[in-house]
Amino acid sequence: MGIDNQGLLAQLIRELVRLPGIGHKTAQRLAFYLLKTEKDEALRLADAIRAVKDGLTFCSQCRNIAEGELCEFCRDPKRDRTKILVVEEPSTLYAVERTGGYRGLYHVLLGALSPLDGVGPADIRAQDLEDRLKQGGIDEVILATNPTIEGEATAIYLTRLLRPYGVRISRIAYGIPVGVDIEYADEVTLIKSLEGRRDL
Amino acid sequence: MSLLKTPAIVLKSRKWGEADRIVTFYTLRFGKLRGVARGARRLRNRFGSALEPFVHGELNLFEKRGDSLYRITGADIRDSFAGLRDDLPRMSSAARMANLVGAVTGEGDAHPSIFETLLNGLHVLQSGHDPALTALLFQIKLLGETGFRPQTDHCAACGDGHGRMAGQFSPLAGGLVCLPCARRDRDRCLPMSAGSQAFLQQALRWAPAAVTRLKATGQIRDELEAAVESYVMVVTGKHLPPADFLSRPATL
Repeated sequence: MGIDNQGLLAQLIRELVRLPGIGHKTAQRLAFYLLKTEKDEALRLADAIRAVKDGLTFCSQCRNIAEGELCEFCRDPKRDRTKILVVEEPSTLYAVERTGGYRGLYHVLLGALSPLDGVGPADIRAQDLEDRLKQGGIDEVILATNPTIEGEATAIYLTRLLRPYGVRISRIAYGIPVGVDIEYADEVTLIKSLEGRRDL
Repeated sequence: MSLLKTPAIVLKSRKWGEADRIVTFYTLRFGKLRGVARGARRLRNRFGSALEPFVHGELNLFEKRGDSLYRITGADIRDSFAGLRDDLPRMSSAARMANLVGAVTGEGDAHPSIFETLLNGLHVLQSGHDPALTALLFQIKLLGETGFRPQTDHCAACGDGHGRMAGQFSPLAGGLVCLPCARRDRDRCLPMSAGSQAFLQQALRWAPAAVTRLKATGQIRDELEAAVESYVMVVTGKHLPPADFLSRPATL
């Protein structure tokens, strides 16, 4: 006998299927797990989702995830306020932050331009970035968009948009990942790493 | 289950799951295909940049019965068309070309001439020709090869080959129309001068390699761009991002 399409369990499965990377079988397995688990444990998940949706917002300055008006990085007085590192998504910001090698501010675009999908400048937070430069005090903008066609389009567009402000605009380097043999690198990565070589 | 190997051009690539990509190709041997590349977004993956849009490469695929998605097991780059990634007008024109191929072809329907036309178009774009004009000529050639050839010899609406032509292009009828048909469908027809008609006929007739010698400026270019844009929308049923997307003055 199949699961009643109108029933409560089917409703939970339908909601889980909407999550990225979750197919019907996985959703069904998760739904049965939640059904069998202790009520308190299952409700903790529901409470956590509710708390995130009620308590988190986007930083009014950099568009990172924030618990108040400003995110933890924009609030931190020890950060270097003359540099802005631009990323597509908050997940990239936290990857950079994990390195401990960058102490400036961030700007999250919440997307990237796409000539294939018709995603234009109005669809990302490019204007907010320009507004931050208009306020002054910024010496360098580091473009850390992905090395994909969308990331490249975004970096070229932002370079043109921000150049009139006279700040240094840099792009993160392309190159061979640490710990691999150069002979296995693809031609685009190899050419880009040669173009981006530096003096020792 | 079988292993396939074919030259292919990447039309589109999108994120899937944790670290995978779903890639749409136009292949020489099997036409348009979609495949999943497991782990393609991880730092150490076996595909490198071979699955980025516009890359021409040699593709290894694994076909799983009952699954419309192929498994991509390997991809070697023949030409990365890296020059298309450094310039917004060239990138937008290449995207328009790839989008149109994706929109007017069916999966698994091989047409080597479409593959060659796209490959030639990307080479012309990379060599520095006017991007928007290259995209316009490519679209005319591609429509001609996919059964959507704009009608220029007789009225596209009534088929009359002897009546007086109106100097009007009907996107709905798919070509030039005669005077009575143009009057009936006045609001939806676009003006097309004698110069534009001659250009369109030459673009359809000439070989892809020779067609780049055609030059269009001013009124002819405006008329043709408007006609092709409207006709593509009728053919595909959707609004594709234009060839000058991201390079229009308003966006810069």
